[in-house]
Amino acid sequence: MTIIITIILLCGLVFFTGGSIGIIRFPDFYSRLHPAGKLDSAGLLFSMSAFALYTVQPFSLSALFTSVKIILIVVFVFITSPTAIHAIVDAGVRAGLKPWEKESNLK
Amino acid sequence: MRITGLILILLLGGLLIYGALDFPIWGDPQSPASNHLSPYYIEHTMTDTSVPNVVTSVLADYRGYDTMFETVVIFTAGIVSFFLLRIFKKAVPESRLYRHIPTGVTLRIEKGGKVPDESNHFERIDSVWIPYDLVIRTTCRMIIPFIQIFALYVIAHGHHSPGGGFQGGVIFGASVVLFAIGFNLRQAIKQLGEKFVTFMCALGVSIYAGTGIFCVLMKSKYLDYSALAALFGTDPVTARSHGILIVEIGVGIAVMAAMIMLYYNLASAGKHDEGL
Repeated sequence: MTIIITIILLCGLVFFTGGSIGIIRFPDFYSRLHPAGKLDSAGLLFSMSAFALYTVQPFSLSALFTSVKIILIVVFVFITSPTAIHAIVDAGVRAGLKPWEKESNLK
Repeated sequence: MRITGLILILLLGGLLIYGALDFPIWGDPQSPASNHLSPYYIEHTMTDTSVPNVVTSVLADYRGYDTMFETVVIFTAGIVSFFLLRIFKKAVPESRLYRHIPTGVTLRIEKGGKVPDESNHFERIDSVWIPYDLVIRTTCRMIIPFIQIFALYVIAHGHHSPGGGFQGGVIFGASVVLFAIGFNLRQAIKQLGEKFVTFMCALGVSIYAGTGIFCVLMKSKYLDYSALAALFGTDPVTARSHGILIVEIGVGIAVMAAMIMLYYNLASAGKHDEGL
């Protein structure tokens, strides 16, 4: 069981690391928001499910409630995080920010 | 005027620093606070108030006066934002934008034109045009009830876990701010009017102060909740726990209303017409 939890947690960490690198490395506003959204959804899903599994290990009713609360965090972040990214992209478009293009395309 | 202000600030700041010099060193184990005050709170909280969370019992019971005046400070902040920013003079704008909801067509009505009634068909939008965003509105509609339930949970569960009136009140206020951002300010003001919010702010402080006065009427000291035992029909220790809950509810209402007042006045620069 512990091995499964560790693997899931590592998966989550991979997403978190990739997302953080993406936020720094991507060229412009819109493409940076893409890893920011992924990091919230996928990374959180994996790490939180690992936490939820870890909590219920000696199984009891109170532990189950705690793990349901952890799952609820994932549910709410899944609803709010994409909406937040959507609103930010919308604001960027309305403010007139042009998406980045390769320099060869601009000529 | 500016020089007078500068001198005043320097003088008061100097006084504050001079006063702070008398404090014991940070974390000094020999200071009176850590000598007998903190151990007393930690050891006696359970037997005095039956509240497991020491922070809550110190905040609302042992140091009740302090928290009461903190609530008054929050109330003052809300009132000050009203007095400084609120503008009642209604200047008719050059043009207004309306959206015909079934078709999504935006109408621009110049000064003096006939303005459509706000109904299910027409919706006034801010002077900076914004698209009708179904995603954000639906999410707000789904999330806001949960935020409000969580706020009530934080207020009610302050006895056992981190939380209490201030935190819960801020979360509740944030849910209304989210509503105002996701929809628009006019709709939020239609739901929670200015008068109602101001009244709630005063009501919250009154609940706190009123609890104290009620204790005096029950022939005890101000804010000594054990006097309420006869009212609740419990022993004095449980009465103190219940008294803390009443006070926290008052704090929660005051903080929530102050947050909303601050948002209304700051976001619309006091016009309450259109905002963020």
